[in-house]
Order: sequence, then structure tokens, then C-alpha cells
Amino acid sequence: MSFKSAVITFPGSNCDRDALCYLNDLTKGEVHNIWHEETSLPKVDLVILPGGFSFGDYLRSGAMASKSKIIHEIVKHANDNRYLLGICNGFQILTEIGLLEGALIRNKKLKFLGKNCFIKKKFKNNFNLSIKDNQILQIPVAHNEGNFYCDTETLNLLKNNEQIAFEYCKGEFSNTEENINGSIEAIAGITNKKKNVLGMMPHPERAYSDFHQSQDGRLIIESLIS
Amino acid sequence: MNEDLILQHGLTLDEFKVIRKYLNRDLSIEELGIFSAMWNEHCCYKTSKKWLKKLPTDNEIVIQGPGENAGVIDLQDNDGIAFKIESHNHPSYIEPFNGSATGVGGILRDIFTMGARPIATLDSIRFGLIETEKTKYLLNGVVNGIGHYGNCIGIPNIGGECEFESTYDFNNLVNAMAVGHVQKDKIFYSKPKSIGGLIVYIGSKTGKDGIHGASMASDVFSEEDEDEKRPSVQVGDPFMEKLLMEGCLELMSSGLIESMQDMGAAGITSSSVEMASKGNVGVCINLDKVPLRQPLSAYEILLSESQERMLAVIDKKNNHKVREILQKWQIDYEVIGEITDTKRVVFESNNKKVVDLPVEIIVDDAPEYDREFYIPRKRKNKDFDFSKIKLEDMINNLLTNLNYLDKSWVFDQYDSTVMGDTIREPGQSSGIVKIHGTQKVIGASTDCNPLYIRINPYEGMKYTVAESYRNLIACNINPLAITNNLNFASPLDPNIMGELVLSIHGLKTAAIKFNTPIVSGNVSLYNQTNEIPIKPTPVIGMVGSNMDLNKINTNKFCEIGNKILILGKQLTKNFSPYLLQDQKITFNICEFNDLEVLDLDFEKKIANCVLELSDLKCIMSCNDISRGGIFSALLKMQYKDMGFKVKVPDPIDLFCEYSAGYVIEIRSKDFEEVTSFLTKKGAEYLEIGEVIKEGIEINSKKFDYFDIMNKYRNDFEKIIS
Repeated sequence: MSFKSAVITFPGSNCDRDALCYLNDLTKGEVHNIWHEETSLPKVDLVILPGGFSFGDYLRSGAMASKSKIIHEIVKHANDNRYLLGICNGFQILTEIGLLEGALIRNKKLKFLGKNCFIKKKFKNNFNLSIKDNQILQIPVAHNEGNFYCDTETLNLLKNNEQIAFEYCKGEFSNTEENINGSIEAIAGITNKKKNVLGMMPHPERAYSDFHQSQDGRLIIESLIS
Repeated sequence: MNEDLILQHGLTLDEFKVIRKYLNRDLSIEELGIFSAMWNEHCCYKTSKKWLKKLPTDNEIVIQGPGENAGVIDLQDNDGIAFKIESHNHPSYIEPFNGSATGVGGILRDIFTMGARPIATLDSIRFGLIETEKTKYLLNGVVNGIGHYGNCIGIPNIGGECEFESTYDFNNLVNAMAVGHVQKDKIFYSKPKSIGGLIVYIGSKTGKDGIHGASMASDVFSEEDEDEKRPSVQVGDPFMEKLLMEGCLELMSSGLIESMQDMGAAGITSSSVEMASKGNVGVCINLDKVPLRQPLSAYEILLSESQERMLAVIDKKNNHKVREILQKWQIDYEVIGEITDTKRVVFESNNKKVVDLPVEIIVDDAPEYDREFYIPRKRKNKDFDFSKIKLEDMINNLLTNLNYLDKSWVFDQYDSTVMGDTIREPGQSSGIVKIHGTQKVIGASTDCNPLYIRINPYEGMKYTVAESYRNLIACNINPLAITNNLNFASPLDPNIMGELVLSIHGLKTAAIKFNTPIVSGNVSLYNQTNEIPIKPTPVIGMVGSNMDLNKINTNKFCEIGNKILILGKQLTKNFSPYLLQDQKITFNICEFNDLEVLDLDFEKKIANCVLELSDLKCIMSCNDISRGGIFSALLKMQYKDMGFKVKVPDPIDLFCEYSAGYVIEIRSKDFEEVTSFLTKKGAEYLEIGEVIKEGIEINSKKFDYFDIMNKYRNDFEKIIS
């Protein structure tokens, strides 16, 4: 059976087209683009909440989008044990909805950060990711508020349940940073308790094509399809 | 009319006399406002027009030259590329964050007004010395502003330049360039098609911001002015622009509109006047219909520069459909007037005509000046003493000079990979993006060489164009066309005017030789404060292409053991201006030693060699040689902890500038093929060394690789913090 997926577009989303190309090229299956005011969602295996500045990041990144009409359907989709991936602004929206723990606050240096970063898998069995234990992935980030924060109790919960999917790490060569944005324990991505909802700051949809600097972003979709 | 009022509006009394005589009546204050906006340098190019006319603007690939919102060139099939550069210098000095942000916003609107989707931005920013207290504040604000706007709307920033020099202490420069992709059969122009078409207002509500921005941009500053002028700077909302862009592109692709104009500098005034002038028609607009953010007078509405607004002409029958699409994007929309056959610009307010002027007097009769200019005097020749300078000092001089350090601190604040088509990011010799859904790539570079142009405006400008050219060639991108941004001090000074005139001639000569016509541009004059003029800074944005993304070169070292070759001709030590200045050989470089004449045929010959060798896949990496010579070029090529080992007759040679200079990295096994190819073409080359692991070695002297790289990569942030 072919893999079905969808990308939600909010006003101000700017990685929706990138996410659509990513899914089209890698899944070869049906891909839907859903406007935020829709009230129904086709039955799909994966939904992506894309990056961007939904509603201009006004109020707080992701806050306004988390109240959009389509969110009701997104929550249903997640509760149905289907895959839900929030990238960058999508991650922020997931924390605002409450599907994921914690919050994303301003980067430690208080500056936008657009560069390549290196991440590796923290715990197994998250989001069906089949990535080798010490494999370092090179994937770009582009965010102002990517500094993951939560209280100690929540952090312990995330650890005990093995919900930390990715952490930032140094790359193979000099001049790469351990923790680019000051995230608590260098967290780059987490899942929910059931491991079917993943939020991550790096953009795998910008690292999959042959002409991209890295193709490591493929692993996420390939893991889900296999 | 009161003389003070006329002068406050930036018009000379002579200019006012011309208007008064033509109309044979007194002007309303609104009409005076219109002339103030339309007859300033920013809108009518009254000083530069005479010289700009001499530039080559057409060839077989130009679809649209200067005169529209952006130039468009042909990229085969149905692909067109729209691009333009524009300055936001004065606003960025008064309020760096919003000044630079709205600079990016404005240039993006110029692109999508043509029906093109923006696919890349670049910028050229210049500041005073970092020791000047204000520079850090300006640098932080400008970079933050450029990033904020571009990142939010989601257009990748793919490159540019950032320099520091004392003449920009009180006049920083912010030039923003945008590139868009358009289907050739779907290009939109500002010319309206039919009499009776509805003039519609699309976008943000009009507020007080930016009133008299365009005439401000043509004023000479004095330091006390700053605070007084702050309300003139526009405030940008990139989220609104993102909605406006998507809304407008959807309207255009649905065929619902006839023509479109960006309400940029001088707002509704210049957009409506231009519409009337282009179509040889009239416009009648009811100002009471304009969506307002706050109560405004007719005068204020006419001159407001509120951002994120468009003026379009539609057929009456499409009114409903247009409204529907814009509602989806939550964009304000109002019918405010119609196209008439009167050839007059009429604005009504409270059932009264507040403006009723023939288009002719505003546009065609705009002043054009032939200002006096001086040719720079001949420079004396002098032999400088290089005997005391040591290699360590030369390296140290570069590593303590912001202009040579890695600018990641700047570029990392920009999103350069959004849209997923970026191939070369900022920090390489040119930025490169793929045309979505094709194998074609577009490369672009912004450059200027103010020191060269001060020394010799004509030759210096040739070097500037050649530098952009080399930046593209190094990546195996064929240079195609140019956009320019002429930043100068006051043209009322005949010396400055001389620089303007001669540099335009240099631009012309080089553009003809390279077959890269000028298709769009912008002029920013009066960049001087307290009698200190900026160095002449005519910035070039050059665009080129390669039809096959697999053929482009990297600027970064590929493999340990590969050989390093130098192409081109070194400028002699005594005639290498940046060497003399930055190695502190002399402090009055502009007094002595003219520039060496740049042989453009030689530039072309070497460039063709690089292009051919690239197509033969013989070039592993390539970088152009500019300020800082071979050494600086090699530093930029370091990658994945690879360094270089070189041998040269005299270490100073590594720091001299070049004509047609390129560093190329080739595999040992290709050495014979490459060198015999070059010999056959009559292109001299120099084999200087090889790529090594974690090392920098010059004439057998070993340097600490990580110490140098650490300074090169990280000291920029330390110095500016």
C-alpha cells in the first residue's frame, strides 16, 4: 500500500512547498496540501507541520497557529497513532498545542541562526527512526527560537520515557559547536510518550536532494516508509 | 507660494518657477507635495539621467531593461529572471533595523510586481570603522533587519558583501538585491491596458510612516538631523508582505489583473503617476477610499510610504473574484479610482479635486541637470619601500582587519537554505540557486571596489565589473546581465560629479566587452555628512547562469594532495592599492600611483579558459583573487580542515591584487591536460603548491593552522562585540 501524507499550510508558513517536495520525492505516494482553515483531514500516514513564521510569529511562535481550525483534526490524527512531524515552526506549534512537552525560547545568543548543524540520535525507538547509534547527521537549522527548555521534572520524564529523539553534537571537523542554540541538554528534537509525534528544529527537507549539501534528511522519511 | 515652504519640499526656486509657469496658477499644498516627491533625485534621476542614458541596456537576452520595477532576462524555454538592486542608505542610518528591513521588503515587491516569485536576495552593506561607537549599533541593527524581513518571508539570502571604511562613519550603505523567477509569457508590466479599468488598492492600511522618505533620501545629512527625521522611516511587516506576495502571485497567475505597481518611495503618488505615464493615460483616484490606519490629511495620504501596499488595475468584471482571493489571504482591498483618457493625474478628497495635474509636467518636464564635473588630477608615481615588511606581519595585518575575516557572524543570521533550492550559500564567491523543477542554476554576486574608483573612477569601475565577473566565472557561471546601485556623495561637488560620470563610463566599457547589459538600477546621491563624502561606491549586482547544476564549481578545497595553480596577471606591488593600504605601506594611497589599465580582453580570455576547464571537469575548486591577493583567496578556500602548502619567489606576491586572477585546484593526474590546455590558449599559469591536511606552509615556513583558522573564523565576532 502506498504511503500517504499531508502538509498543513498556515498564513506565514514558508517551508510548506519544501516539505511537499520532500514528501513527493521520497514517498512517491499521495501528498496533500491542507489549508489551515480546513475542518477535515484525509486519512494519511504522516502529517507535517512545516517551518516558517505562521501568523508572523506574533504573540509567540506557534501560538496563533495552535488555535487554527485544522488543529482539531491534527490532534485526532495523532491520537489515532499516526505519524505527525513538526519541523522548526511546526515543532513550536506542537508544543503550543500541548502534543509535545517543553517550549522553544530564543537562542542563547539572541540571534537568528541559519547554518548547518550536526545532530545524533539520543534514544532508540523514536518515530520509527532507523539511524545508527553514533551516526552524525548534517542538517541545516534556521530559527530564532530554537532553544528547547523545560523544567527538571519534565526533563526527567522525557529521559525516563526515552522521548529525546535528537541532540546537537560536534561534527567531524573543527569549528563546529556542541550545542548551537543553548537548548537544555542540547536537545534538538523530542517525541510524545507514544513516540508517534516528533518535533525537531533542524530542517530535514533541506537535506535530501542530490544537490543539497547533505542527504541525511532522507533517513527520517525512509524510516517511516520501510 | 511661500519660499520656505518650497525649499522645505526639496525643490529649488528655479524648479518651482518652471512649474508655476507651466500651470499658470498657484499650486495646492498637495500638488507641491507631489512635485517634491517626483522631482527629487530618487524618483527622477535629475543628475544622473544624462549619463545613465549612455549605458548598454539591451542584447539578445534582455526581455525588459531599465524603466520597469525590475529588469528581466531570458533563460531559455519559458524561464525569465527578474532582478534589481536598491538602496536604503539614509533610512538605515536613522533607524538601522527598520531601515534595512524595509529595504529588503521594497526590493522584493519590485520583483513580484513583475509576476516573478523571488528566489534569492543578496546585499551589499558598508559601515564606518568599528572603533566608531555607532558602527556596532548600525551593524547589529542592519544585519538583524535584513535577516528579520528575508527570513520571515522565506526567501534565501545567498550572498553579498560587508565592508568597513572610515568614510562610511556617518553614512552607512545598505543596498539590497533580489532575484526572481518568472514565466516569460506571464510577465506583468506597470502599463495599464484599458481606459475605464478600476484602480485598486491592495495591502496594508496607510499610516503616517515614511512621509517625505524619498526626498529625505536625497538630502545631505547633518548630525543633529537624525532624531528629527526618525518618523520618516517606514516600519516593515514581513508577515504582511508574505501574504501580499502570495495573494498577488495568485491574482497574477489567475489572470485577474492587468497591471501592477508597488507603492514604494513616494507611495501612492509615484505609483499612480508612473501608471499614467507608462500607459499614456490619466488616473482619477478618490483619496477618501484609501484604507487608513489613522486619520490622515489628503497631503499625508499622498506622501505616505507605508509598506506592503500595491496598486493594481483590473477589469470591472473581475472585481468580485479579486476580492475573494484577497480575502483568503486576509489582505485589505479597495477600489479607489479608475483609468481615464485625460492624461491628467487627479486626486479627490471630500468631493474636491485636491490635485489636478497633467502627467506631462510631472514626468516629462522633470528637471534634468548637466552638472559641472572635474576629471581627477593625475597621480604622482612613487616607489614604496617594502623591505621592512615580514610575512608574519602581512598575515597578521589581514587577520586583524575586519574586511578580511570570515563573515559568518553576518550570514548565519540569514536563512540561506529556505525554498530548498540553494546550492551555494553566502561566503562563497557567488551565491547560487536552482530554478525550481529544472537543472538550471542562477548565480549572483554583488561587488564594489571604492578604493580603486577613488583612485581612478574609470579604470576602478572596470575592475569592479571584472570582480563580479570573476566571482561568477570561478563557479562556472556564465555572466549574463547587471543591476547597479550608484552610491555617491553630493553631485554639486564637481569632483564627486566627475567620479560619477567617469565610473558610469567604466561601467559602460566593461559591460559592452562582457556583453552583460545593465537591466535595472538605482541611484543614491548626497551620501555625505558634515562635509565628509563617502568613497564613490557604485555597487554592481551581476547575474549569470549555468544550464546544468552538475557543472558548477565549488570554491572550497576538495582533496588533500591536489595541486594549486594561479591564473591571471599580478598587479605590481607599487600599483596594488589594497596591498599598500591594508599592509600599511602608505597612509595616503589616494595621492599616488594610478591604477594599472585593466585589459578586458585578457579578462575574457582567462575566464573562457576557466569555463572550458570546468566543463572538462578538470577543476576541483576555484576561487577568484581580489582584495588580499592569493593568500586571502586560499584562506577562503579552506574546508574540512584542509590547508595549503605554497612556494613563491617573493612572499609579498601572495598579497598583491590581480587582473583576471583565479586560484584553481586540480588533480595531479590532470596536471598535463590542464597545463597543455593553458599553454595552447596562451594563458600563463603558475604552479604554486598543493592542498594539505591541517596545515599552512609558505616557502617551507610552517604556520599554526588552527591558530590562523581560529582567528579567521572567530575574530570577526570578537572585534564587533
